[in-house]
Amino acid sequence: MAANPQTTTGTGPVATPISKSPSAFKRWFRLLLKSKTGTVGLIIVLTVILISIFAKQLAPHDPNQINPAMMLKPPVWMDGGSADYILGTDNLGRDILSRIIFGSQISLAVGISAVVLAGVIGVFVGLVAGYYGGIIDNILMRLVDSFLAIPTILFALVILSIFGPSVPTLIVVLGITNWVQYARLVRGEVLSIKEREFVKAAKSIGVRDNQIILRHLLPNVISPFIVISTLSVATTIILEASLSFLGLGIQPPTISWGGILSDGRDYIATSWWLATFPGLAITITVLGIIFLGDWLRDVLDPRANNGR
Amino acid sequence: MGKFLVRRLLQIIPVLFIISFIVFCLVFVAGDPVALMLPEDASQEDIEQLRESLGLNEPFHIQYLTYMAGLFTLDFGESFRYNESALPIVLERLPATIELAIAAMVIAIVIAIPLGIWSATKQNSPVDLLATGGSVLWKAMPNFWLGIMLILLFSVTFGWFPVSGRGTFMHLILPAITLGTGIAAEMTRLIRSSMLEILNQDYIRTARSKGIRDFFVINKHAFRNALIPVVTITALQTSTVVGGTLITETVFSWPGLGQLLIQAVNTRDMAIVQASVFVIAFIVILMNLLADIIYKVLDPRIKYN
Amino acid sequence: MTTDTILEVKDLKTYFYTENGVIPSVDGVTFDIKKGETIAIVGESGSGKSVTSLSIMGLVGSPGKVAGGEILFEGKDITKISKREMRKLRGNEIAMIFQEPLTSLNPLFTVGNQISESIRLHQKASKEEAKKIAIEMLKKVGIPRAEKIYSSHPHLLSGGMRQRVMIAMALSCNPKLLIADEPTTALDVTIQAQILELMRNLSRENDTSIMLITHDLGVVAEMVDKVIVMYAGQVVEHTDVYTLFKDPKHPYTKGLLDSTPKIHELKEELQSIEGTVPPPGSIPVGCRFNTRCPYATEKCFSETPELTEVSPNHQVRCWLHEEGEVAI
Repeated sequence: MAANPQTTTGTGPVATPISKSPSAFKRWFRLLLKSKTGTVGLIIVLTVILISIFAKQLAPHDPNQINPAMMLKPPVWMDGGSADYILGTDNLGRDILSRIIFGSQISLAVGISAVVLAGVIGVFVGLVAGYYGGIIDNILMRLVDSFLAIPTILFALVILSIFGPSVPTLIVVLGITNWVQYARLVRGEVLSIKEREFVKAAKSIGVRDNQIILRHLLPNVISPFIVISTLSVATTIILEASLSFLGLGIQPPTISWGGILSDGRDYIATSWWLATFPGLAITITVLGIIFLGDWLRDVLDPRANNGR
Repeated sequence: MGKFLVRRLLQIIPVLFIISFIVFCLVFVAGDPVALMLPEDASQEDIEQLRESLGLNEPFHIQYLTYMAGLFTLDFGESFRYNESALPIVLERLPATIELAIAAMVIAIVIAIPLGIWSATKQNSPVDLLATGGSVLWKAMPNFWLGIMLILLFSVTFGWFPVSGRGTFMHLILPAITLGTGIAAEMTRLIRSSMLEILNQDYIRTARSKGIRDFFVINKHAFRNALIPVVTITALQTSTVVGGTLITETVFSWPGLGQLLIQAVNTRDMAIVQASVFVIAFIVILMNLLADIIYKVLDPRIKYN
Repeated sequence: MTTDTILEVKDLKTYFYTENGVIPSVDGVTFDIKKGETIAIVGESGSGKSVTSLSIMGLVGSPGKVAGGEILFEGKDITKISKREMRKLRGNEIAMIFQEPLTSLNPLFTVGNQISESIRLHQKASKEEAKKIAIEMLKKVGIPRAEKIYSSHPHLLSGGMRQRVMIAMALSCNPKLLIADEPTTALDVTIQAQILELMRNLSRENDTSIMLITHDLGVVAEMVDKVIVMYAGQVVEHTDVYTLFKDPKHPYTKGLLDSTPKIHELKEELQSIEGTVPPPGSIPVGCRFNTRCPYATEKCFSETPELTEVSPNHQVRCWLHEEGEVAI
């Protein structure tokens, strides 16, 4: 093929970044600023994290304070709204804004811990399957397959119905539904490292190859690991909200976005703001995480970039 | 083709065995439903009697054998809420769920195929930006919230559609749109990236070199090729679609399997839970089988044996 | 030029407009092909030969574009005609065969479907007529059991068979010009000769002109009349095949010839040209070959040579051969 422009110029923003890299961090940061959605994503994610950390300082009201005199007040810009309750109040007179601010805590906490748990399980299974191979690998991979066949939400529903809804159960359930992709990633990488000459050579002279594998595994899986984790947090937050909405996730008085939404659904005919704002909060947060995750994939893992 | 079908159908049996075993284990671990089945002031004697009659005092393997014997006669036990055999109750709800799922798939396909093709052939055009942006937005939006917002807008504010329930065609529209657009978002993204890859293939250039109009190059030569990965991945996502149905039904009080299951989970009506899980798993497996058949029809390179 | 000229390419410029700037893949190429004539465009990867052929077919994809020059097909500039008119030429008057027979046929349609597609399109033939013509073509290109192959899918055929199918497809509408982009590169050596002979015989039969694109001068020797050597988007030498082999002028052509095995000169070691074609984004100042040329002088690094005639019908772009004439 003559002068194929793809091969000479199609390397994209990754291979032709800024001339000299002062430090990896600075280089990434500049790449981030180049991507509008990546920047927006980072800003949203940082904002949500800060809000959840400083919820106490930021929330104008106690989120659980019932105020019968202030029931179902509309947002401030509507007739009958009050500047005290910017996004209005719910059926018990609780401040929606404060509840959303506090709700971010549980969303992030559950989302992140479930993903960490999934990562631990997945890496362990992947290492075992890849390292030992053979029948163990076979059994573990069939397990992976069957997990893919069960609807995540169905699995979560059944488990939660048996053990009863609680935050630890929820984290475990969400973690268990998410580990499969890590297991596949790590297993594949271990298998390919095992095939390399130097590992075989090391093994033949009696060096313990598991140390070599671990040392070579980390740099190879860290990038996809970060990308998968980021995007998993997004889907986990949605799943947690769905379960809480169905009444099987976070239980009151703990405040969750899905729970506020569930309360608001009963008042949809009269008080639209109850169900609207927590949903917006979820959508914006998840959108931010997806933007950030997509950008991370572009920067860290250009191979996985499929046509976007 | 006949042989392939038979073999593929036979493969379903062990999978159903595994699923039934898992379901049994879960229920066994879940422990005693007796407390829920009797009034709170029931005496210890009554409880013991019920336990005995339900076979709950038997060891694990005996209970499992009893359970399997029941399975072969399609008996999942009695729902203590309805005081009836569980499977008929579940099957009674199935048509509503299937109606919703089919309507949603139709909407998804009608949106995703033209949008996916269009955005792939006109990269970075306004349509492409709309398609990719819409896909991301729909991925970020919880589907049940989208349903609520549609109710708010079209039922509460405009009064065009009923808020909930099943019955007329109008009842179907909002839940089908909720579920259908959710599926369409992912499908559009898939078709787009699949088309982009196919359009770079050598045989597309060959087709162009024959002087064929772009319309036919895209819709004849490229699209059928692009459909193959889309079918595969969509089949893998059947379970996600089924999961979406569960929630959508709850939002719209759609009297389907999902609503029944979630009620059963909330009341710990394990017979219904077991029967529903089994039926849902069966449907997912059947959909995968269907996808396998479509896949083989689409791709002559795959042999039937 | 006389009326028997089929194709005339004049100062063709095909540029790719990428994020990293404009890349001149084809930069001022001029040549012509007469009726029934076979010419070869020779060069390494990145020389611009494939882009030249795609420009003629009107198949340069975005972000590439014909940025200048003319491509006259039977006297009409086909860079200026409408898409619709171009489609009427493509596959009909001008046909093309590609390098990769394994991937150039659509895996989901039968061989017959793909051949009769263009017959039905261009000759307005009915389904049955098209099938008859297609089976006739399959027989002509030496495919046994043509009826059976007609309804087979491409994956059942070998590489050589698929390339025969491609040739049948390309020749099914009796094109006036056949462009063959490395038609034998992907095939076994024994099959290569068969395919080339097939192309030569069929083109003689119908007086079809052939533009053969190759990196292999060995292929050229056997079947072409004229040779155009391209380097980094430009023509560096242009002459008839005998002169080229007997008296190559450009150091690049000499390099290419030295790297081609010759049966009667067993003693010599095969030479290869050091380095690779500069990517179109980083073309050196002066002569484009200066980075790899063993004879490069100071002048070659500062001034750009023009394509000049060193003897009748023999043009070279090199300062070594221009000196004398410039001095006049």
